[in-house]
Amino acid sequence: MGEQLAKLWRKISWSWSPGSERESSEAIVRNLWLHWFPAKITRAAMSWNYSLWLGTAAASLFFILTVTGVMLMFFYVPSTERAYGSIKDLQYAVSFGRVLRNQHRWAAEGMVAVVFLHMARVFFTGAYRGTRAANWLVGVGLLLATLLLSFTGYLLPWDQLAFWAVTVGTNIAREAPVVGGTMRFLLLGGTQIDQQTLLRFYVLHVFFLPAVLWVMFAYHMWRVRKDGGLGAVEAIKADRRMAPKPMPATKSYSLFGLTPGTSVQVMSSTELEAEDQVVSSPNLTRRIVLVFLIVFNATLLASIFFNAPLEEAANPAVTPNPAKAPWYFVWLQELVASTTVHIGPLTISGGFLGGILLPGVLLVLLAVWPWLDRSPLSAEGRWFPSSRKTQNRVFVVAMIAIVLLIVVGVFLRGPNWRIYWPGMPRPQAPTVL
Amino acid sequence: MSAADKKNVPPTDTERRRVLRLLGKGSVVAAFAAQIGAAARAFFPNVLYEPPTKFKLKRPEEYPPGFTFDAAHRLFVVREEDAFHVISAVCTHLGCTVQWRENEFDCPCHGSRFRPNGSVISGPAPRPLSWFDTRLSPDGFLEVDSAVDVAPGFRFVPPKGQA
Amino acid sequence: MERPDQSYEGRDFGWLVAMSFIFLALVAFALWREFHPGWAPVQARFRAAMEKYGGTDRARAFTPGIKQIWVPKIHMVDRCITCHLGYEWGSILPATLPEPLTPHPNLPYMDKHPFQNFGCTTCHGGQGWATTASAAHGGKDWNDPMLSAGIARRYDLREADLIQMRCNFCHRHDVTTPGMDQINLAKKLYKENKCRLCHAVEGHGGTKAPELTYFGDKDPELVDFTHVTGAHTLFNWTYEHLMAPDKISPKTTMPTFGFKPEEARALTLMLLSWRREVYPPEYIPPPIEEAPPAAAPPH
Repeated sequence: MGEQLAKLWRKISWSWSPGSERESSEAIVRNLWLHWFPAKITRAAMSWNYSLWLGTAAASLFFILTVTGVMLMFFYVPSTERAYGSIKDLQYAVSFGRVLRNQHRWAAEGMVAVVFLHMARVFFTGAYRGTRAANWLVGVGLLLATLLLSFTGYLLPWDQLAFWAVTVGTNIAREAPVVGGTMRFLLLGGTQIDQQTLLRFYVLHVFFLPAVLWVMFAYHMWRVRKDGGLGAVEAIKADRRMAPKPMPATKSYSLFGLTPGTSVQVMSSTELEAEDQVVSSPNLTRRIVLVFLIVFNATLLASIFFNAPLEEAANPAVTPNPAKAPWYFVWLQELVASTTVHIGPLTISGGFLGGILLPGVLLVLLAVWPWLDRSPLSAEGRWFPSSRKTQNRVFVVAMIAIVLLIVVGVFLRGPNWRIYWPGMPRPQAPTVL
Repeated sequence: MSAADKKNVPPTDTERRRVLRLLGKGSVVAAFAAQIGAAARAFFPNVLYEPPTKFKLKRPEEYPPGFTFDAAHRLFVVREEDAFHVISAVCTHLGCTVQWRENEFDCPCHGSRFRPNGSVISGPAPRPLSWFDTRLSPDGFLEVDSAVDVAPGFRFVPPKGQA
Repeated sequence: MERPDQSYEGRDFGWLVAMSFIFLALVAFALWREFHPGWAPVQARFRAAMEKYGGTDRARAFTPGIKQIWVPKIHMVDRCITCHLGYEWGSILPATLPEPLTPHPNLPYMDKHPFQNFGCTTCHGGQGWATTASAAHGGKDWNDPMLSAGIARRYDLREADLIQMRCNFCHRHDVTTPGMDQINLAKKLYKENKCRLCHAVEGHGGTKAPELTYFGDKDPELVDFTHVTGAHTLFNWTYEHLMAPDKISPKTTMPTFGFKPEEARALTLMLLSWRREVYPPEYIPPPIEEAPPAAAPPH
């Protein structure tokens, strides 16, 4: 009996801990979940220094968010009358509800940050060239979906923070030319944030956007494999090309028949040497578990010690001073607040310039950049190659600018959107008693 | 095994490492199990949003003689002269609300019939209708505890001057 | 048998083991915290007090856990009684028992204001949802702080005076209400000084001065504190404005009535009580007629 159980266990589990390279390759094919992965992965892609494993971290966060989100759905009521109370219940009366909600919140904010950093990594290593351009585009879509998920989730607690952050956010959307007003009208289900808005944001948040994100995520992963792995692979290939191994003098096939020497086309299939690679199972799978554990521990640690913000119940009659958008939109709020221009009799609202035009241009530039990039292909798969110096510098400056604007918005802006430097006394918001 | 392959076999797979691996895997499994347990615990509400089982009805003198149905609390207040008792209107079969018809309770769902004292005449109901503990609240209202059943035949007579 | 390359196991092994242990430790800590809430020792003290004063049976009847008074009619959930467990045991527990177990004093109006209809926060304020002392007693992110003796001292009042402000949510239309001396004084002054000549309240009154029906809902952000000498609270603004209107609002046409400080305080309490609180009709007391004046003594 025991022996049979052991045998059964071995039958189920063998693919997770293959005994030989051959078993490992077979496991990839046989196991539905391992099926995601290539049979072999390059050592360059396994390196901590190359990818920083940000994509895996983002996926881990999304997994945590899905599980905690489904749990939260059992307790949350999407009604303007009961939403706030159901969050208070989670905070104070549901067993583990506080940690659950905190983990959802911190993982969500972490995901926005990690997805952004992942994109920065891909940019700095130039890993969006050639066939990878399509996946870059999917990545931009994933970034957008992540931001929209965070934004729709923001309204659900129905507290002052939620209500006014979404007021600011949807008014930025209104400034979009032609479609802005209609878009906001559709998003809110009216002209004001009310029950219809809450329900729309809820359905978008718990079903629509996650579904879109899951599909795009799956495609993103599939494309990584179709593109031959991470960009780091290209760097190895380029190295091999620069210093070709002594090849036996032979003939090679080319378009015009047999020619002496070798050609790139022929090299390409044999460029990666056996020692460049390791089997994915268990090397990659183990690493993914490790990254997941690190991410999970980080979010759990934050959730135990820091409570997700929850202010007073939403009150459309009282705007908190200052009313701030969520931090990942605060840089837009900063722009919106300072880009209204007057040209003669013409006034262009900052909501349009800073809220739509500038981020819109940034987004379009991001999306089409792979097709505009003129740096040599040999720069792909390395950090900060000299041939990409200029565009990397521009990207760094843009990143720093955004981070600075976020820091200013989150930490320095006080009542009436004035700047308060650290140490400067801030006026205390007056209270009733 | 060739010399090159030997290089790849970790030479340090010692007893200590084996124990650590086992403990590590054990921790992860235990932590996940604990989290599943925690999730399960969360589904048992710590607070209920339900009306209390003990509640006040009207003042005794407000009830006419005979059977008075209270839809909010799903019960009948029965008054005979100055004596009161309270019978549940919840059918003991599957929980529908029974209706008072002249001289018996009829259940609309599956046809159970009960005598005025709650005992079953016919139909699928397995038990007689419950009788609830009844008393007078300090401020003079009939007070019922639907969590406490009393034997059929129970009568509550409010002190003189109350009914 | 050829073995797969194990070189990464060596590199990741230590981290993996460490992270696994941390994972278990964090989960265990979260679990431990969940089962050791701040209110647990308080409930243990309550059980001991019940055992001492009420006997073993009563102590046994107590089941630990989060306790709440839920009053759906007024959308109220009060979990104060998770710690303030002695509240309804005045017949058994001594009044000298230290907080949070002290029984609620059996005030003359308690019969008409049972806990199951009014909870705690209706009168005392504070955050009923909370199950931690700091969150429940007001603190951050809750705009209706518990009316404590500490807050009352800031305005030279007693806790009971402050609470009258909340009583007046329902008793607004009483001419006088037994026990509400502050509000009664305010109502008398309001009548005597003919506030309605200039101010409209509930649709009646003059149009010269601002409408005051929901004065208590005024956003404190929207009043000018430039000339207020005390802390920036709506209470101080209102009080100082009543004492010297032209000082607080230089352009005002409101005359200086020469209220005594205690009169201005009473009027402030009444004004702050005028809030958009929606209580169902059965909560609103029938009007209490003013006692007929005692027969004038013969000349």
